[in-house]
Amino acid sequence: MAKVLIATDWLAACAGCHMSLLDLDERIVALLHHVAFTSSPVTDLKHTPPTGVTVGILTGAVSNTHNVEVARRMRARCRYLIAVGDCATFGGIVAARNLVGTQAALRRAYLETESTVNGRIPDSPELGRPLETVTGVGDVVKVDIFLPGCPPRADDFHYLFAELLAGRIPTILPREHLRYD
Amino acid sequence: MGTVTITINGQKVSAQTGQTILEAARGAGIDIPTLCHHPALAPVGACRVCLVEVAGQRTLQPSCTFPVADRMEVQTESVKVVEARRFVLELIFSERNHFCMTCPMSGDCELQNLGYRYGLDHWVYPTYEQAFAVDASPAHHLLDHNRCVLCRRCVRACAELVGNHTLDLRQRGAHTMLCADMDLPLGESTCVGCGTCVDVCPTGALIDKRSAFMAPPSEVERIATTCSQCSLGCGLNVAMHRGRVVRLESLWEAPVNRGLLCRRGRFEALEDHRLRILAPMLTETNKRLHVSWEKALAVAASRLEATDPRRLGLMTTTRVTNEALNLMKKVFIDTLNAGQRGMVDRVCPTFPAAESGRLSDLSESDAILLAGADPSADQPVAAFMIKRAVDRGARLITVGKRPGELAVFAEMHVVPRQLEVAVDALMAADRPMVVYGSGLKKADIHTLQRLAGKARFLALQPGVNTRTAAALSVNGMPDPAACDTLFVVAGEENGAMERLAAGIDRRTFVMAQASYESPLAARADLVLPMAIWLERSGTLTNTEGVLCRAHAALPPTGQSRPDWDILGRLAETLGLEDNPSPNRPERRKHRTF
Repeated sequence: MAKVLIATDWLAACAGCHMSLLDLDERIVALLHHVAFTSSPVTDLKHTPPTGVTVGILTGAVSNTHNVEVARRMRARCRYLIAVGDCATFGGIVAARNLVGTQAALRRAYLETESTVNGRIPDSPELGRPLETVTGVGDVVKVDIFLPGCPPRADDFHYLFAELLAGRIPTILPREHLRYD
Repeated sequence: MGTVTITINGQKVSAQTGQTILEAARGAGIDIPTLCHHPALAPVGACRVCLVEVAGQRTLQPSCTFPVADRMEVQTESVKVVEARRFVLELIFSERNHFCMTCPMSGDCELQNLGYRYGLDHWVYPTYEQAFAVDASPAHHLLDHNRCVLCRRCVRACAELVGNHTLDLRQRGAHTMLCADMDLPLGESTCVGCGTCVDVCPTGALIDKRSAFMAPPSEVERIATTCSQCSLGCGLNVAMHRGRVVRLESLWEAPVNRGLLCRRGRFEALEDHRLRILAPMLTETNKRLHVSWEKALAVAASRLEATDPRRLGLMTTTRVTNEALNLMKKVFIDTLNAGQRGMVDRVCPTFPAAESGRLSDLSESDAILLAGADPSADQPVAAFMIKRAVDRGARLITVGKRPGELAVFAEMHVVPRQLEVAVDALMAADRPMVVYGSGLKKADIHTLQRLAGKARFLALQPGVNTRTAAALSVNGMPDPAACDTLFVVAGEENGAMERLAAGIDRRTFVMAQASYESPLAARADLVLPMAIWLERSGTLTNTEGVLCRAHAALPPTGQSRPDWDILGRLAETLGLEDNPSPNRPERRKHRTF
């Protein structure tokens, strides 16, 4: 049987969810008998192949227009989209920006910081523009499975992959694999 | 009250009429999830998490307020019920900041547990964007509106349990906010800082400042003990994490206080920053030396034996265990016959032929006379109970030269000269109660005696274990000037001992059994380090006469030892037979000489 292709990408993320995925440790070796990781932010190949994958994993919140593009691209190129981590499911720590407002957050970060002299809010056309509201991935594209946690533990990833390989879509997570912190 | 039979999830359940579906279900071991419900508070049905399907009812009903009826059929986890609960939870999560990873209560949050139970893994409604200011104005706790689910537990606790009515809700619907008084910062409001609201809060909206983020809730262990701040003997839980005290919490099953604690008992008891005495110390030829316990006790014993009994003094704090007081009686009264002895606190007078009352009687009395005591300051939990009685309709009459804090709630305040008027008012009541302290004058006692046989009398002793101390005739006030040798059990006492220290003659040999450095400890020729209340087990007798058990949460600091342990060793050194009484069960376990 051909290996199941998995691609991961991150939006406004801290990399913690990917670290947790790597925490599978030796279980990754066993997993690689069944799946192939085509691309991820922590490997040489970053971009999800245009030919598509079976499982797409997104971590991080939707914070700017670039995140929206990445989320839409992943959605278009995968069959099952999994939102992983509190940021991708709820907005998480990034959504704390909502409580002060995007413009206020930018001013504070780039102009008003005590150590800043002649600061400037970045506005290069190459950069994504910050959104007014930070949201989870589900607000931008259809998500098939949500796996919250800050981060989800390696066991939770293992459960998820085991279920998918068994042909089941774990849309309702058992209590031991559902966490908000 | 009749018994009815209802069917819950197909299971026949017996219930009492007047019970709610929730009570009947829990009585039968059937779990219905709740959020705004708290066993100590009146149910209000605010959160709708406990919705159940009742046959014949058009809509789902909140089980916490819906009374049972015979042959009622209830479904608690049907598809319809579970769907409705998920919907309710999604709505609750849709307002305010319920991100767990930055909340100190994550792991001990009832809302989080419900999210887990019903598998909420993403927001259904738009991400909430409004932020509210955190009210951190109280000394010991803070109110984070962003975590509030408006369950009103705190509002009910403040009113129903504390009788304080500080907290309430303002505005309506989506604009509803918790507020103190007429929307004041908590620290400037009528809040008494007892922290009962912190204890009942199901989320992280009301949290204890000191312990926030200090310990993962799942790793906190609890040790039940008795508060040693006043004579009520309130039960409380010491929350521990890896050998450190995290905070003090309500112990809802405590018989005396039923979960209530005051600011002093819950918060200030952990704020003692005085310097601890860590080892026995002996002053010889103006030099202070650390000595072994054996040496210290040998010096103490020989000094006590060599002193003329008439010029031997014992002075004690009442913040000691019954075991310690019994040993003081055995050593200093029965054996050494010390001529001078006393304790720092005064004792409440007794009323012959009067029925003694209990704190729990306050909830049944219809008229309360408060004289010679200021419970708001000295026994705050008793003040909460008096305010609750007033809420229920009891008449309160306060007596004193100046109106105390409780006078605001009183129907009448009289000066002692007019005590007769108050007594007359009580004579006309059905179940009157006299709550009094050690501040009563002779004339007042005489006047109040008229109520003996009519009213119940509850003494609020000023010290912690005053009742036992008085019963063992340790009471009185020694004349420090008349002592060649003075043994002072100072413990954690401060002010009163300083005054005592000032009156001690230069030639007097002073032995101090103390926990903290103080002028008295500095003056003492021999210092015996004593464990504090969190470090000793034993029993205390509260002002009502209830025996309260204390359990050590911490090991004694340095070389300090529990109060009874020091006195027990002293008795042994004096050659007195060691016969541990049955109410000293902890004694042997802690002996690690």
